[in-house]
Amino acid sequence: MPSGCVRRCADPSSERAAAPSRDAARPGRGLLRVSPRGLGALLAGLQRDPWFGYLLVLPMLAWVFLTLIYPLVDTARLSLMNVGYVGTPGAFVGADNYVRVLGSGEFWRSIRVSLLWTVLNVVLQFLLALTAALVLNQEFRGRQIVRNWIILPWLFPSIVLATMGKWVLDPTLGVVNYLLRAAGLVRTPISFLGSAGLALYAVTAVNVWRWFPFFTVIILAALQTIPRELGESADMDGAGYLARLWYVELPSISEVLKMVVLLASLWAINIFDAIWLLTRGGPMYATTTLTILIYYKGFQEYRISLAATLSMLMFLLLLLYGLAYLRRAMREEVGAPA
Amino acid sequence: MRLAKHLARYLSVAAVLAVVLLPMYWIVISSFKTLPELTSSTPTFWPRTFTVEHYVRLFAQVPFVTYFLNSVYVALASTAITLVLASLAAYSLYRCRYRGRHLLYRAFISIYIFPRVLLLIPLYVLFTRMGIIDTLLALIIVNVTVVAPFSIWMLRAFFTTVPLDLEDAAMVDGASRLQVLVRIFLPLSAPGLAAVALNSFLMSWTEYLFAVAFIISDRHKTLPVGMAHFLQQYFIDWGLLMSSSVLIAIPPIVLFGLAGRWFIKGLTAGAVR
Repeated sequence: MPSGCVRRCADPSSERAAAPSRDAARPGRGLLRVSPRGLGALLAGLQRDPWFGYLLVLPMLAWVFLTLIYPLVDTARLSLMNVGYVGTPGAFVGADNYVRVLGSGEFWRSIRVSLLWTVLNVVLQFLLALTAALVLNQEFRGRQIVRNWIILPWLFPSIVLATMGKWVLDPTLGVVNYLLRAAGLVRTPISFLGSAGLALYAVTAVNVWRWFPFFTVIILAALQTIPRELGESADMDGAGYLARLWYVELPSISEVLKMVVLLASLWAINIFDAIWLLTRGGPMYATTTLTILIYYKGFQEYRISLAATLSMLMFLLLLLYGLAYLRRAMREEVGAPA
Repeated sequence: MRLAKHLARYLSVAAVLAVVLLPMYWIVISSFKTLPELTSSTPTFWPRTFTVEHYVRLFAQVPFVTYFLNSVYVALASTAITLVLASLAAYSLYRCRYRGRHLLYRAFISIYIFPRVLLLIPLYVLFTRMGIIDTLLALIIVNVTVVAPFSIWMLRAFFTTVPLDLEDAAMVDGASRLQVLVRIFLPLSAPGLAAVALNSFLMSWTEYLFAVAFIISDRHKTLPVGMAHFLQQYFIDWGLLMSSSVLIAIPPIVLFGLAGRWFIKGLTAGAVR
């Protein structure tokens, strides 16, 4: 890349655009001088790097800054005060909120629930996605259509997911209970979403159904980059197949698999809608993850400062966890213009 | 032996398809069952009755059309703004040359680890002060931020493959750089723009967290939030839930049919490189 890069990186406008706007290069007609004649020069100057680059990235940068960095700073500020309802004034209370939250059982319970939720989701999504990807990587009729449309569940809003989950798992109307009874496995209907012991698993099952197809698509694409000679035949049978899978195919897509685990976990921690719509964090807080607890504190109990404190703690935890992701992102370069 | 292999292959594919499709089948047929059949404790796997009453009620009894149009408006506006901002930013990052662009790219990509719920409270406070709480504009503003990193990330696969020579040639012909960007570069990257548009439409269409927190009045509710009312704790209107679930799924499916292959390409080219 180095030798080609020097030529290619050269800003295409620098030599050519100079021709029609030569006076931009003359002394005294710089970018900052705006006279009637200089306006053309200014416009020409703005169309050259670095100004052109800055100009184009600026709107998105400003947008993101106002909607991400400002909220972060404001959350930090709110977490040091005692604000209740939105709009009510609060007093500075220092680290009181942090002491209170870190000493509360509900915070640690939500951490435990979040951990279990994330691990369950990541493991199940990963295993299902990998299995489905291996299955769809075989040669079969209509494979192109199936490989694209497998993502279908991911296209739906989670209210559809919640409808489906509630409907299928309902104790009296649900098909799952019906089948369990018909098979003689249970006598009394099970309230999957209504029992503290089962709710988290039930919501996980529903959520996994929505997300695993998304990762199937990514893993499938990675599998297809493996040269055919390595995989020989894509049939899924025999010990030879498993050995090849373990020693050849999985190692050669390990980077993608790592990324899938990282993304799946970051997204799982952030899930709000599926849990809220199915159980509202209940029963008995069994599905109250940190995200749910923050929403609950802020928008049901109207304790803005406590919610802000929880948000800051979640931000720090994710930052710690996301270091692996960040390190990877930080290594990544945009690359030279092709 | 060959036959067994063949059979195993198709059976495994069928199993995967069943996992994905059966729940959807269940919703669709349920939406056409009459209420007695729908709420009978013995489910029927092939409907015995057929009715469109649950669909009719959507239009006659509840403000489904209002919710639907709100959702369309939010999704289209979010998509339009995202397209402009993301394609300009991505052009800058991938095609321009200046100090700090690597750093900028990394900063954008790092947004991923930002917990979404963190934005909830400060933006609620900010939007209240700005007087735009309980408006669709509030949702549009957040949606653009939420899809920004993914959009920039996905455009890379499309923006880095357009040959520089094309731009150079147009520049020699006297076109300004902005003209080249708008008239030559972006049309050449149309598939990438389609992929980004589909993604941001889907994200806005499915968004629930901000929509439920920022919207108070019924006439500003988006479809997912409006539908959540049918799913109240003590009374669940199954008929309305089924029929609206079917209808809310149609726009994503149609759009994916139109631009899905580019979306998949952007998604996988970004992930597998």
